[in-house]
Amino acid sequence: MTRRPALTTAAALLIGVFCVALLAAAPTLMPPFYVRVGQLMLYSAALGVAWGILGGFAGYPSFGHAAFIGVGAFAAGLTEARYPGLKLELRLVVGLAVGGGACAVLSAAIAYPILRLRGTFFAIAMLGVSHVCAELNNNVDALQGALGLTLANIAPEAWDPATVFYELYLAAGVIVLFIAWEIKRSKFGAGLLAIREDEDTARMLGVPTTRYKNAAFVISAVLTGMLGVIYAHSLGYITTDSVYRDDTNLNLVVFSLLGGIGTLAGPVIGAFLLVFITQVVLGNLLDFHLFATGLLLVVLVLAAPGGILGLLRTMRRRPTVVAAE
Amino acid sequence: MNDAPILRVEGLSKRFRGLVAIDGVSFTIQPGSITSIIGPNGAGKSTLFNLVTGYLSPTTGEVHFRNTQITGIATNRIAELGVARAFQIARPFRDLSVFDNVRIGALFGKRGVRDVGATTSRALDLAGIAHLSAAPANTLTVGQLRHLEVARAIATRADLLLADEPCAGLNPTETAAMIEVLRQIRASGVTVLLVEHDMPSVMEVSDRVLVLDAGRMIADGPPAEVAADARVIAAYLGTPDAADA
Amino acid sequence: MHLVAQTLADGLVLGGIYALSAVGFSLIFGVLHVINLSHGILVLIGAYLALMFSNALHLDPLLTTPLVMVVLFVVGYAYQLLLIQRSVDSSHLGSMLLTFGVALMLQNVLVWVFSPDVKSITPSYGFASFHVGGLTFDVVRLSALLTSLVMLSLLAALLKYSSLGRIIRATAQQTLAARLCGVNVNHVFALTFAVSAAFAGAAGIVIGIILPFAPADEAFWTLNAFVVVVLGGVGSPAGALIGGLLLGIVNTLTGQYVGPAFPNVTMFLILVLMLLIRPNGLLGNAFSPSR
Repeated sequence: MTRRPALTTAAALLIGVFCVALLAAAPTLMPPFYVRVGQLMLYSAALGVAWGILGGFAGYPSFGHAAFIGVGAFAAGLTEARYPGLKLELRLVVGLAVGGGACAVLSAAIAYPILRLRGTFFAIAMLGVSHVCAELNNNVDALQGALGLTLANIAPEAWDPATVFYELYLAAGVIVLFIAWEIKRSKFGAGLLAIREDEDTARMLGVPTTRYKNAAFVISAVLTGMLGVIYAHSLGYITTDSVYRDDTNLNLVVFSLLGGIGTLAGPVIGAFLLVFITQVVLGNLLDFHLFATGLLLVVLVLAAPGGILGLLRTMRRRPTVVAAE
Repeated sequence: MNDAPILRVEGLSKRFRGLVAIDGVSFTIQPGSITSIIGPNGAGKSTLFNLVTGYLSPTTGEVHFRNTQITGIATNRIAELGVARAFQIARPFRDLSVFDNVRIGALFGKRGVRDVGATTSRALDLAGIAHLSAAPANTLTVGQLRHLEVARAIATRADLLLADEPCAGLNPTETAAMIEVLRQIRASGVTVLLVEHDMPSVMEVSDRVLVLDAGRMIADGPPAEVAADARVIAAYLGTPDAADA
Repeated sequence: MHLVAQTLADGLVLGGIYALSAVGFSLIFGVLHVINLSHGILVLIGAYLALMFSNALHLDPLLTTPLVMVVLFVVGYAYQLLLIQRSVDSSHLGSMLLTFGVALMLQNVLVWVFSPDVKSITPSYGFASFHVGGLTFDVVRLSALLTSLVMLSLLAALLKYSSLGRIIRATAQQTLAARLCGVNVNHVFALTFAVSAAFAGAAGIVIGIILPFAPADEAFWTLNAFVVVVLGGVGSPAGALIGGLLLGIVNTLTGQYVGPAFPNVTMFLILVLMLLIRPNGLLGNAFSPSR
């Protein structure tokens, strides 16, 4: 192989299992505020990784992924409202299936035309899609976006809801991370990488670019939608504004930018860090959130376009000596 | 060596509005050979390549690869069939290493089962850049990038390689190295069709030379024969009367 | 029938203002190839400055236009030269993100200085209106429209007839060649941005006198400008005018006949569709190299 990986697969898995176990035990040791922060961190990290399958791996940065959170949330909520007699254990399962399914349909429908756009055009078009979905959801009465939708409880009586959702987000995060990992080391992932580097050349080398892009788009959308379903249940009551959020649209980009775009750990690091900064450090200073996020963006673009992982890589890299022929 | 041509071009023409870029070009390529296309600037060599590989659709005519019609075919389909192209302006995957670059070719390319690692190594060896495997693509010199282009193309297990001016801008040493790589590729059973300006190299390495002038094929034969052809000389140098004027 | 005519008239008035707002964005996109996501906040800064100046100097808000434009010209020049220039990369994603970051920061600053509440500028002739052929025209909106048209013509004249305009157009068409001819491209880019920012500010004044505004509106005006440009054409006042007028009419027609909440949906649908079908707009890119 070209270089020794920083960690062997076995070692990485071991560390991973250990971290997950630690995280799973954490709620028992933390005050409720930190459990909620933990929820947000895990949710954000999972979203970031799901976004990264399209934005990081394939190089198609979507500025409108909140569309899928909203579609997933409302599809699940509306379906569950039609069947109020559903057993508690089944509610989430049904919600996930319907939410994920709705996002699959939406993304499959728009994939071919929208993925013909590249770079900044794609980014803005997705922002447009997010707003169209939000506006339609809001203005079509049957979808109850403006009125609001109440979601049935999914936490068993005996358990603390905050902890339940924390563990749900943790489980979801691990699954999403696993899927992303499998993609990254597969032939599909190599193809996506080639598409990101130089799509035309990749095509010429035989990479089925259209098929791969569409697949990445749908997978990313479905995972995002399913996370949105969990999020909706954790809120209990959703309106258009609570799920189709422009700050979510931006944050998903910033997570990868901060941590390192195109990597597995990057969005996780970025999400944890950004949530920490906004919720813990700036927690009481709500007035500073916009300014802080904006400043972070500016600094990242000018000083560290590769994010934290990019900085680490630059520091680690020894000057390359080209062998004399 | 079977006799069926690996590439058959019949009556190919390309018209851009009023300009006829390629006019009724026909030729066949035998498997396992190196064929060069030469001609003065503006003769239409790049256009011809683009027509064969599907970047442009011809106005008339057909292109057959083995028994398959590939006229105007989609670019990624052509790699699946076994045709690869190395460009004059190299487009490496800049953030990847040389090995990972070539590996993409081995992972995709021609349909069929393969050992990706072995195919990649073999392509790197053939192109003479195995020693650069770990180097990031964005640290390579122009000459090395050309070798990478070729390595990546043959990693697709192509049976026909179209090389677009592989020696352009290279010094004599680098040119000789590239020509040697093309010889090795022929020896491994891959057919090569190239466009080139470097006359000594072309004459030395080619089994056959095709001469294009103003979109038409004006000569087609072994190098020595073509070099002596009056029409070819006229195309490059002009006729004796014009030279005296 | 009368309602249709009134709706169309309203749409044209609104459209003229959209056009003035978008022309700066269009120029930056056409010349610098930058998607300036801080466009909306520059527009709003124009409105807030006009509010401040007209109160402090007891002037009609439209008369503060030259002052506001000068301020934003200087700010825009520095912004491009010192920040945006440094963030340009081959994909232009960097500059887009940078301008987004600046927009967020400035939005927060506006909230701190002026409060998040909605404001408006009421000129002295605030509530006058007159009637022509059965249609009603609001004096304020009409003067806003007239100002827009005058400014668009000024900019078009500047681009077409002045030497600065020629240099800008040349640099947009063939940047490298311009550089080789001795054009200080960075300076030209900064000037272009400065002009755009000035016009964004002027648009802000016009918007401020007919619509209520708040810092959170910046996203709307940025996206609005984007839609106008994608619809009408990149890099020309004519493109901005066509796109603006069309969008204005679509806006009022949708609001009147489909529902008051639907103009935004339509705007975004147009955005997505145009990006897919004809991203350079109806008039195309004014700076595309001629063959």
